[in-house]
Amino acid sequence: MTVGGDGADAALARLSGVEKRYGAIVALDGLDLDVRSGELLAVLGPNGAGKSTAIALMLGLQRPDRGEVLLFGRSPHDLAARRGVGVMMQEVMLADALTVREHIAMTQAYYPAPLTLAEAIALADVEKIAGRPYLKLSGGQKRQAQFALAICGRPRLLFLDEPTTGLDLNARETMWATLRGLVAAGTSVVLTTHYIEEAEALADRVVVMAKGRRIAEGTVEEVRAIAVRKRIGCATTIAPAEMERWPGVVAVSAEDGRTSITAIDAESVVRRLLADPGLADLEVRRAGLSEAFAELTQERAQ
Amino acid sequence: MTAPASIPAMPLPRLIAAYFSDAKYESLRLFRTPAFSIPILAMPILFYTVFGVLMADGRTPTALANLTFVDWTVYGVMGPGLFGFGILVAVERNQGLLTFKRALPMPTGSYLSAKLAMAFVFAIAVMAMVAVLGVTAGHVVMPLARLVTIAAVMSLGVFPACAIGLFIGAWAPASSASAFANITYLGMAFLSGLFFHLPPAVAAFQPIWPTYHLAQLALASAGMHSQGSPLVHAAILAATTAGLILLAARRLSRAG
Repeated sequence: MTVGGDGADAALARLSGVEKRYGAIVALDGLDLDVRSGELLAVLGPNGAGKSTAIALMLGLQRPDRGEVLLFGRSPHDLAARRGVGVMMQEVMLADALTVREHIAMTQAYYPAPLTLAEAIALADVEKIAGRPYLKLSGGQKRQAQFALAICGRPRLLFLDEPTTGLDLNARETMWATLRGLVAAGTSVVLTTHYIEEAEALADRVVVMAKGRRIAEGTVEEVRAIAVRKRIGCATTIAPAEMERWPGVVAVSAEDGRTSITAIDAESVVRRLLADPGLADLEVRRAGLSEAFAELTQERAQ
Repeated sequence: MTAPASIPAMPLPRLIAAYFSDAKYESLRLFRTPAFSIPILAMPILFYTVFGVLMADGRTPTALANLTFVDWTVYGVMGPGLFGFGILVAVERNQGLLTFKRALPMPTGSYLSAKLAMAFVFAIAVMAMVAVLGVTAGHVVMPLARLVTIAAVMSLGVFPACAIGLFIGAWAPASSASAFANITYLGMAFLSGLFFHLPPAVAAFQPIWPTYHLAQLALASAGMHSQGSPLVHAAILAATTAGLILLAARRLSRAG
């Protein structure tokens, strides 16, 4: 029996209209998400956006309250489907007393046609720590070991939940290079991250999530344009309605005598503001990703 | 490395090998964890040395020496399953390891069968050590065939021990699972009369405890003096095992 042969419709994993609640909290609110063959898909979004829940559903760790989840066209609870998947989760403590090499050997045994032990160790760049017990590893080395476990089964689809958190620069670059190699060789990857830089370095496609929904989707450049917005705060006598007509202004809000302007071209907005003799408390800063996402959510809601 | 175009099927030998590999690494890691291996292996030996070796001498009747040996072996056999499941399942639930394993294509039941195998490995080790100590220093006198029969029957005790452990591991928070396992282990051994003869009022409640039934079963199988019917003891052990596994499974399937 083989599964996951490429049909015309080559979504390796798919969430359709998925809702997931934890008590009163809505984690996923009618999410549609496809993972296509051969792509590296980055899922971006602030904490609590539902990224990890989306992955947990695709791995069969949780069941949706509504909607459909497919992995290689099957239920993710089907062992045969999961044999095509490698996983790196955010929080996992592996057995302390086993070495990295032993962990890899134990994980490889679950897969039908894994890499050899030596191949997995080399590919994940863990030669130096292979003989060490998991207990003796630093935080970054643990992430590297977990990465080795994710790729050792020669999976067709890799799920990486914030894989480079806690890694030093060198290790991060190495992991990125390995991922590029894997994608070039035909592996598909779903990567969640807080870092736009990581998506920029790797992703073919980016999905932005907030509050359990997909709020944007596109190339890295398209999403980047959202993230480079600046936030200008000041007290001014100029009416918000007027400022909204200025070029480069995305949104204006005024509250308690303080005006907040979101702009793509902050410099030209500031030049105009300086013409106002009543201007006070001028502040310009780059909108963080989460802020940019929050605004995007509001824009979509309007 | 080239990713496969489709996911190959799992060859049966590889599937079987995966179960063995999980069992091997589970045993290995616990053997290397002194917090687990020392109490499991050393406590029964220590207790038996005090009660079976130091407190016995040449005048101890063989029947009593043999009984002491059987009682402490029961104690030793129950430990690995109870602690292996009780503490580890609770801790691994808490640490996300169980979730990670469920996300991997780990064969169905391999997580539990590996722990069961580990419990057998440790139980056999404990029995071997207590037996050597009993025959050489504890005035135990019985034919080898009878020793082997007792060991074989005792091994069945691994199942209820694992079931009790699994029940604790599934329901107790990680922070208190160890305490629950210890209380259950010691309480069960005391109250079923393994350590010393109980006053009649307490002894009346001995049949509540799996350790009591296991001890009676082992005694009966070895042709030694025992209470009750072996079939009833075996049935109670089997029912306890099944009931606790069901309750644990309900919890684990809900909470993960």
